[in-house]
Amino acid sequence: MSEPSPSRLWVMRAAFAGLVMALIFFHLLPLQTATGGWIWPDLILAFALAWSVRRPDYVPAALLAAVFLMADLLLQRPPGLWAALALVACTQMQMRARSLRDATLSTELVSAAAWIIGVGIGYRIALAIFLIDTPALVPSAIQIMVTVLAYPLVVAVTHALMGVRKLAPGDFDSTGARV
Amino acid sequence: MAKDRNSVDYGGPLRRLILAVLILCLAGTFLLWRIDSPRVERFRAQVTDAIVPNMDWAMAPVTGTINLFRDFQSYRRIAEQNAELRRELRQMEAWKEAALQLEQENARLLDLNNVRLDPRLTYITGVVLADSGSPFRQSVLLNVGARDGIVEGWATMDGLGLVGRISGVAQNTSRVIMVTDASSRVPAVIQPSGQKAIIAGDNTAAPPIDFLENPDLVRPGDLVITSGDGGVFPAGLLIGQVAEDPGGRLRVRPAADFERLEFLRVLRHYGTEPVSDTAQVLTGTEALVAQDQEASE
Repeated sequence: MSEPSPSRLWVMRAAFAGLVMALIFFHLLPLQTATGGWIWPDLILAFALAWSVRRPDYVPAALLAAVFLMADLLLQRPPGLWAALALVACTQMQMRARSLRDATLSTELVSAAAWIIGVGIGYRIALAIFLIDTPALVPSAIQIMVTVLAYPLVVAVTHALMGVRKLAPGDFDSTGARV
Repeated sequence: MAKDRNSVDYGGPLRRLILAVLILCLAGTFLLWRIDSPRVERFRAQVTDAIVPNMDWAMAPVTGTINLFRDFQSYRRIAEQNAELRRELRQMEAWKEAALQLEQENARLLDLNNVRLDPRLTYITGVVLADSGSPFRQSVLLNVGARDGIVEGWATMDGLGLVGRISGVAQNTSRVIMVTDASSRVPAVIQPSGQKAIIAGDNTAAPPIDFLENPDLVRPGDLVITSGDGGVFPAGLLIGQVAEDPGGRLRVRPAADFERLEFLRVLRHYGTEPVSDTAQVLTGTEALVAQDQEASE
């Protein structure tokens, strides 16, 4: 399925950067200028985790760091903090990708949910330590919950529409080695 | 074809090193922001300035289409809306008469007093490019910036009421922190009682009124206008009306329509000149010098 061509690797890396920019674009549309309204899941984190589990070579750490920092800058968050936490979460998932590859979907969902909640809590704790105004508790808790709930959907989209799938035995990885 | 499996080892030492460096860089950025916030915020404004105006060609049609769909949904209730509008229009006719009379009276009185409203209070109108993109921040990005002479701290209004203050100016764009944002504090005065207070945003649609000296003098429906204290905003801009929430707390219902901000006015404001000297106008210079000498002796 996945052919051993380096060009495909770079195309998919560019595709991930494009995906994140599209998500930021929809965040920035001036539709909801009043307070309240819908709280959307953090799709950037969910997609990054889903791609990290499936094809770690498509989302190298440097690319993840760059897109997360860009999201921090454009979405008015303290720059760097959320990015560092999300990067840790994604690379941990990447390191476990080999074992998760053979595990069932539910194992992946549980560990992804744990990391999403961990990033959310860590973010709040770090803000509190550095004496920065933390966002209101209830909306941020809701955002973490909807991100966890949205993760299976993100996985389905990643798998079916974007064709980012786990390597199966017999496939070639990006360096051309048979798995 | 059959290479060594370890060639893609995601836990390899080099990878760990790169990861550690990246995390340190990100954490360093955060620390730098914590220590020297204005510099990093300026950098953020420049990044936004470089990226968001380039998205504008795509943002405008997408926003327009989505708004069109929203409007389409409201067409279903068109008959009852029509009746409602007719009723309101009849009430408005009466108000319009009253307003016209008041306007004439006002003009007459201003003429009698020979009042000149501040001629330096002019405005620049900007278009809303993007919002903050998060439910935790209430701000919008305008398409006017340092190029148009925008200065940090200036007040922005829609047609009716205060929307917020400029915070972050880049070459072509500037960011407006709204009065509903959790970091917004606006000194205000409540009319007709003249009580001074602070309008402290808390991410809700109606920001609460803080530091009110005597809440008994304030009733729901009273007008809230900026007091000009602190010299950031000009005095006398309409913020909204007082309202009481179910918990008995006094809040401001903003006059500006935050639902759909499209065009915003940025008021040019060059600060109010402080009056520092005391009653030295009536005495002549020599008398003054004599007084000073007496005082110093």
